[in-house]
Amino acid sequence: MNPLIALLVIVPITCALLLNLLHNKDRTIKIIATIIAIFLPIIPLFTSYGLHYFGAYSTLAQSPTLAQWVPSTITNSVLNLYHMGIVYSFGSAQQVLLIVLGIIAFLAIITSLNEIKRPSGVYAFLMFMLVAAVSAIILSDDIFNLYVFFEIAAIAQVGIIIASKIKGNYETALKYMILGSIASPLFLVGIALLLGITGNVNITDIAYSLKTGIINPQNPVLLMACGLIIFGWLYGTGLPPFHTIKSAVYSKALPHGAALLQAFSVFILVALGIVIFRIFSYIPFSKTFIIAISLAAMILSITMALMQTDFKRIIAFLAVGELGYIGIGIGLGTAYSITAGLFQAVNEAIITAFLFIGFGTIMYLTKETDIKKLGGMMIHYPKAALLVLLAGLAMAGVPPLNAFQSKFMLIQSSLNAGIPELGIIMILLSIVTFMTFMKAFYAIYMRPEPKELKINVSKIPKATIFSLVVFLIICLVLGLFPQIATNALQPLANSLI
Amino acid sequence: MIIGSQLASFFTAGALIIIGIYAALFLDNLIKKVIGLAFIGDGANLFIITMGYKLNGIVYIFLPGMSIDFFAQNASYPLPFALVLTSIVIGASTLAVMLGLIILLYKKYGSIKASKILGE
Repeated sequence: MNPLIALLVIVPITCALLLNLLHNKDRTIKIIATIIAIFLPIIPLFTSYGLHYFGAYSTLAQSPTLAQWVPSTITNSVLNLYHMGIVYSFGSAQQVLLIVLGIIAFLAIITSLNEIKRPSGVYAFLMFMLVAAVSAIILSDDIFNLYVFFEIAAIAQVGIIIASKIKGNYETALKYMILGSIASPLFLVGIALLLGITGNVNITDIAYSLKTGIINPQNPVLLMACGLIIFGWLYGTGLPPFHTIKSAVYSKALPHGAALLQAFSVFILVALGIVIFRIFSYIPFSKTFIIAISLAAMILSITMALMQTDFKRIIAFLAVGELGYIGIGIGLGTAYSITAGLFQAVNEAIITAFLFIGFGTIMYLTKETDIKKLGGMMIHYPKAALLVLLAGLAMAGVPPLNAFQSKFMLIQSSLNAGIPELGIIMILLSIVTFMTFMKAFYAIYMRPEPKELKINVSKIPKATIFSLVVFLIICLVLGLFPQIATNALQPLANSLI
Repeated sequence: MIIGSQLASFFTAGALIIIGIYAALFLDNLIKKVIGLAFIGDGANLFIITMGYKLNGIVYIFLPGMSIDFFAQNASYPLPFALVLTSIVIGASTLAVMLGLIILLYKKYGSIKASKILGE
């Protein structure tokens, strides 16, 4: 048992609570938040792989001292192999995901601390709480624990939207909560049905019960549980029919907040997608459904992005559309495609955060987000423009940047699976993504500057430029040496097949 | 009779969820929408509690003098009850945030009509 695994969640939660108490003490908040944010990507680096048992007990089969106190009716049954408490599982894939989350969180937090004149303890609390919730979702092997942190993350997301003070933020927050209050209890009923059928909420134990036939996998109640859990998954990730509200959520948050919100969507897509795959992959049409919904997300979101004039909304729709690529990787269901999907998740989380913070500089400088009212920014800020352009190229999958590698792997997977049409659609949508990005980029940076445009602040904070450069370096490193991520993600993908 | 009450609980949970979804989707008053959402959450909680019910079972408290075998065979399943406690806390905090938002929006619009505030 490794206590550092628990610290991956406990550190951000404790920091969040502390920062909330220190509200209004600007300098202290800045120092503490920066120090803890630095540790977020470092802790997973030093954590060794293994399991962490809350309650300190492993299975009865692994704890003979405990087993001697338990009646033989239990030790002779399958209960001997079941996990008794909440289990956190930390392997190489979780390590990569948590390092990426930590880097995004660190950069988003230092950007926010430098862009906001008076750092708010409550805002920092919400950001750290979201990081803690996402970390727990990645680690948890307990589906109810996952649901609890899913809900905590949902409330933290709403808090981040409320704190943004962007026009229409309260309305969007309420809409998101109303939809969430329908989807989450239904997700909970799905978990309850699983609990009712298997008597368990541990994902490994549920999958074991179904694989070994202890529980009849053809039970129709399981089909209903699958449907309800997928519904919660669609809400959490923002896949259709929730793509419109999810993009609205991103666009009503401050850019650094949106960078974290999209990371939540990406990681919940991966974490819950893997849970669905582990438990329900035996249902014949479950993979087809995942592919279909992913395709719908890509087509609908990228098409809607084309019609927007608010650059935050454009990136928001593109971010939701890019989620489809991850879904296709999981839906194809081979070890290679799942590795590609996981790699795409890592890349997308980085690139979208890169874009949100990059385009966020325009909002910081002009307080304007409508591309019709913007222009000529390249003359004023050529370095930032170059960085944003590279972020857009990364999202479109241009070599040698990271998304090229993952999208290439995904296209290869579709060919290997005998569905070349899927590969063609992915290529076409990448081209449309690039066109949409270039439309926004041209309007903001390259078009002549409108006379009525006012630049309120003359300088972009150094922390923001630092964040953008770090994102670019990561994109380049993962683009040139994809094996750094894929070698770590592969064991998880192999274990699912 | 006991099976009947368990079944009745399941049906009640289902009814609460359906009524709640109807209220959340089709009623225009935001407070009524929130009441509907509370119904959905309560329905889900009732559903879980009902699942933990054991016919002729005993409360899952290990009393002095009780044999372990008797307890293992007769105690009702405690996990759903533990889960529901957490779920209730989450539901309460979500409702509090929603009501807080409605107060803010009421101050802004002078109305609690969803069609006016949320635009659809």
